[in-house]
Amino acid sequence: MSDILSQSVDRLSRVSGVLGAMVVEADAGVPVVAEMTAGVDSGPVAALASSLFRRTANAATTAGFGAVRTMQLEADHGHVIVAGAGELLVVVVAERNAQLGLVRLEASRAAEALA
Amino acid sequence: MKVPPPSDLQRWSEEVARDPKSPAFLPLARAYRKQGRRDAALRLCLRGLQHHPTHVEAHGLLALLYFESGQRARAYDEWSIVLRLDPENFEAIRGMGFYHLEQNDDAAARTHLERAAAMKPNDVTVREALKILDERKAETSAPLAPDNLAAWDDYIGTAVPAAPAARPPNTPPPSALRAVPTRPAPRPGVADPRRVFDDFIRAGQILGGLILDQQGLVLAGSLAGVAGTTAETVGAILNGAIEEAARTASLLSLGHWCGILLDADSVQLHLSPLDDGNILLIAARRDAPAGWVLRSAQQAGVAARQFLEAYA
Repeated sequence: MSDILSQSVDRLSRVSGVLGAMVVEADAGVPVVAEMTAGVDSGPVAALASSLFRRTANAATTAGFGAVRTMQLEADHGHVIVAGAGELLVVVVAERNAQLGLVRLEASRAAEALA
Repeated sequence: MKVPPPSDLQRWSEEVARDPKSPAFLPLARAYRKQGRRDAALRLCLRGLQHHPTHVEAHGLLALLYFESGQRARAYDEWSIVLRLDPENFEAIRGMGFYHLEQNDDAAARTHLERAAAMKPNDVTVREALKILDERKAETSAPLAPDNLAAWDDYIGTAVPAAPAARPPNTPPPSALRAVPTRPAPRPGVADPRRVFDDFIRAGQILGGLILDQQGLVLAGSLAGVAGTTAETVGAILNGAIEEAARTASLLSLGHWCGILLDADSVQLHLSPLDDGNILLIAARRDAPAGWVLRSAQQAGVAARQFLEAYA
């Protein structure tokens, strides 16, 4: 299992514009495997991204839209993409001009592999 | 403008009917436009862009169609997309120059038109437009004569289908260029605020849209096309996630949040900030490409801001 986690994170972190990728334990919000560029701390990213995903996913489910598969937070200087994988989450932090299509695709593939 | 022979129309039409992803949507939409069937052309373009979201010519045609139907803000938006995809696109640069000229934003108009002139020095319409800017600069206090205030719609509108043969297609007559109306861009028809996004919904672009205030109350829009929920419920529930999105972006040093895209089982949702703490929520089909949803959110944002400016 740890091989799958590492491979998923490794592949994601190679995508152009990705600043970091990690697999996070969904409920606790702690990183299981992480590969981040220098200066990006995986702990806060895992905690905040998982919290936001949980909040928006609960809201969407309560509103009757069903389960949330991916969430993408767009901000002035970058993006956070979170894909649900059962008890795990795949979290990616990317630059503003990253290849988002590829990032989303790889994040979804990683989540499918982990679920 | 020459209308393609019926055999071509039939072939393109059959291709698109057989395969909605067929690139034949573009020549077919162009042909419809030449026939004056702008609504059909618009629908084809929007549908085609669902499958080809980065098709420069399709965005350019959509810009023309919006412009001709008086939807200036949307035309501007489409030209902006064209320029993101193709920064040297002459038609888009010129179109944005004319848009700014119409809006009396002379500085922005000059920037675009001078760039267009550098690309095509012999384009008579660009030269005329720059001349108008020069005249405005010289006579800043002189109002335009009423007989010069012909509708700006004449620019591209008269070129379809009744443009004089001597003029190249899609270029404004010099008189129309000189005649810059001062009326503002059209605002969405919102006698009923629930209908503010109806144009987008009718075009199949989104399923529904809401403008929410800071308290999560619905200001405008509707989610009538989204099964199993009510606008008020969605507004109240999702609004709670906004504060967390802003905090997350800030704490991760990503700056201000610009939007959240959620891919749920039944729909895709996009939330984005408007002015004064208001929020725009749009719902799109589950199978719509993410780029398309983001683009639709951007366009709906323009309509939402116009609504808020005019009515809120």
